[in-house]
Amino acid sequence: MKKKGVSYAKWGYIFILPFFLAYLVFAFVPQVMTIYNSFFMNYREGLTQVGPKFIGFQNYVALFTPDANGTIDILKYAGNTMVLWLLGAVPQILIALLLAIFFTSYRLNIKGQQFFKTVIYMPNLIMASAFSMLFFTLFSNVGPVNQFIQAMGWSDVPIDFFARTVTVRGLISLMNFLMWFGNTTILLMAGIMGIDQSLFEAANIDGANSVQTFFKVTLPLLTPILVYTVITAMIGGLQMFDVPQVLTNGAGTPDRTSTTLVMFLNNYLGGSKNYGMAGAISVIIFIITGILSLIVYRSLTKKD
Amino acid sequence: MKKFVSLLLALVMVLALVACGGGSTTTEQPANTPSTSTDTPSTSTDTPAPAASTDTGAASGEGKVFNIYAWNEEFKGFFEKYYTVPDGVTVNWVIVPNTDGAYQKALDEALINQADAADDDKVDMFLAEADYIVKYTNSEATQDVKALGVTDFSQMYPYTVSTASDANGVVKGVSFQCCPAALIYRRSIAKDVLGTDDPDQVQAQLDSWEKYDAVAAQAKAKGYYMTASEAADFRVFSNNCTMPWVDANNKLQFSPEITAWMEQQENFAKNGYTVLSDVWKEDCTNQMFKDGKTMCFFGPAWYFNFCMTNAMDPDKGCYGDWAICEGPQSYFWGGTWLLAATGSDNPATLADVMKAFTVNEDICTKLVKEDAQFVNNKKVNEAIASDPNYGNDFLGGQNDTKFFCEHADNIKFENHTIYDQLCNEKLQEYYREYLKGSVDKDAAMQNFYKAIGENYPTIVLPQ
Repeated sequence: MKKKGVSYAKWGYIFILPFFLAYLVFAFVPQVMTIYNSFFMNYREGLTQVGPKFIGFQNYVALFTPDANGTIDILKYAGNTMVLWLLGAVPQILIALLLAIFFTSYRLNIKGQQFFKTVIYMPNLIMASAFSMLFFTLFSNVGPVNQFIQAMGWSDVPIDFFARTVTVRGLISLMNFLMWFGNTTILLMAGIMGIDQSLFEAANIDGANSVQTFFKVTLPLLTPILVYTVITAMIGGLQMFDVPQVLTNGAGTPDRTSTTLVMFLNNYLGGSKNYGMAGAISVIIFIITGILSLIVYRSLTKKD
Repeated sequence: MKKFVSLLLALVMVLALVACGGGSTTTEQPANTPSTSTDTPSTSTDTPAPAASTDTGAASGEGKVFNIYAWNEEFKGFFEKYYTVPDGVTVNWVIVPNTDGAYQKALDEALINQADAADDDKVDMFLAEADYIVKYTNSEATQDVKALGVTDFSQMYPYTVSTASDANGVVKGVSFQCCPAALIYRRSIAKDVLGTDDPDQVQAQLDSWEKYDAVAAQAKAKGYYMTASEAADFRVFSNNCTMPWVDANNKLQFSPEITAWMEQQENFAKNGYTVLSDVWKEDCTNQMFKDGKTMCFFGPAWYFNFCMTNAMDPDKGCYGDWAICEGPQSYFWGGTWLLAATGSDNPATLADVMKAFTVNEDICTKLVKEDAQFVNNKKVNEAIASDPNYGNDFLGGQNDTKFFCEHADNIKFENHTIYDQLCNEKLQEYYREYLKGSVDKDAAMQNFYKAIGENYPTIVLPQ
């Protein structure tokens, strides 16, 4: 029965085992349990536990039942989430791409790169909730921004930033942008630096200008990293929670137009520990994330 | 072969975990301790410096840790100042902020796990507010305090006792405060608007809602706000409700008083009589500074120390420029009840703490004189009310205890449900959006219903 030679494959499996165990315990099992819970009526009323009682798809039906005005809440919140994400992510990726090109360009040869990289990454080190509290204080009716606006005579009454959909969404997107563009820049820089420098030089010798070099050389070769960046940003965006939650005190003001899907989920978990409904929302977020990731992946990698 | 082994291992793991997981969802008894199961309760263990002593009746066999759950530091301050903890007992405070029902959530988790918790982790005493006390008094989570030895209710205000009692009249706790509330006005602004700052004369001009609305218009004409929050007088309406938030069929309903508040504030917002802000937020509390433009605030005795610190600010405040009168309608607001948790391992300390803050006249007198509280001891309050030398400097020397004594007996605690806190909070929150003009009224109400539906699945919502 003795095999020829020595196989080290065993060690490979042993080395990757911790990850799979951690994944099982902390990701896979909770995920299965979430799906399982979503078919149950399971919440708390005061100090009384109601359920768990199997109710099939009733939680999902409830989620997709339109209210008196004909809006289906979960679709509205899914829309909010997408808008909030796009408003932050589009500038984030564009600016990050631009910065990454500047920083890696051998022609510009920017000095003090380490310093700039550290600074643009800084906002990401602040806890999102602390950052939100800061913005809330800055832009509140009695905050410094309003004091400045009034002192400059631009407005007699304070501008209520948290009573307008545009400004609330704008602030949330701005914060997400500030927090994440540094991270994206560093990822994209790594991607560009992975491209063979001789290709840029060759393009340069052939007389290509910067724009042509970017579209014909950099972008095609950067695609794998770019796809990765967009998809991870999107997964993060769909799970957007802390910034709008803290900024609007959980209310998603005004008119719940900055309520994201996870805030909606949290509303159910908060008071009544409604694992059934919260589970159903999680499953829907999971499905949406899966579909969108697939679409992004397909549309960005199809060209070949 | 190796692949097979690792696959098998993995499958065994999954099976084990799924099996455990399945079990825990049906029993719903996570075995974690109360302090770790909640969001971020700040836990601190202190051995307070004694200031006044009470009879240390700690019987042998008492637990070592006395756990108190609270939503802010208010009672903790008084406790550390006035109560001597029996030897061998440490006090552990678990303080979770009230916002969005977080305190109730943490407390519920701890109480549900009470039976399985280690003795030193058991909740011994917890604090509850009028808004949700019904939930705890009408449950098995609280115990009869008479059995613990708290038997003297003669000096307590009757409503504080009935509020802490369950449907069968079993008393589950005591309140260390009594909370008749007042209209608190800025003397200087009242002089400007009404021509007087004398409490009786001001009251004469504000003794009905019609007069109140008319004064709001006068204040506006002089460049002042009547109130600094649309919810400033909410409690005057909501604590005089003639109908509970839900009816017998658990259907959400609006008491006429709530509707009256909504109409009044519609008018106030339209005419700019009020600042539109949450009562707890800076927009509102900044109005208490000297350069504030607001004439009226609403609150009971605890409001002065706890909410009006801006007014007491030595530089920017206006200490002494305040006075109180009854206003359009008598009401109460809040109150902090000390409830006895079932399963406490410190019953003697528990009873001793309750007696110290209600029966001990020495402590009660200090609470009034040094901390501007209105205590739950008639004898102490009345002695101070009739003391010609007593005056509250913050109120320009007015004897507030006298005022509160006159109104304390009228308080009725009626038509409350376990849903009150979030119903009151969410209505204010979503109605404010309408008052600010962000949404129309219908949308605001729909959003309010949605918020209630998310938190209380069993409430039947209007369509």
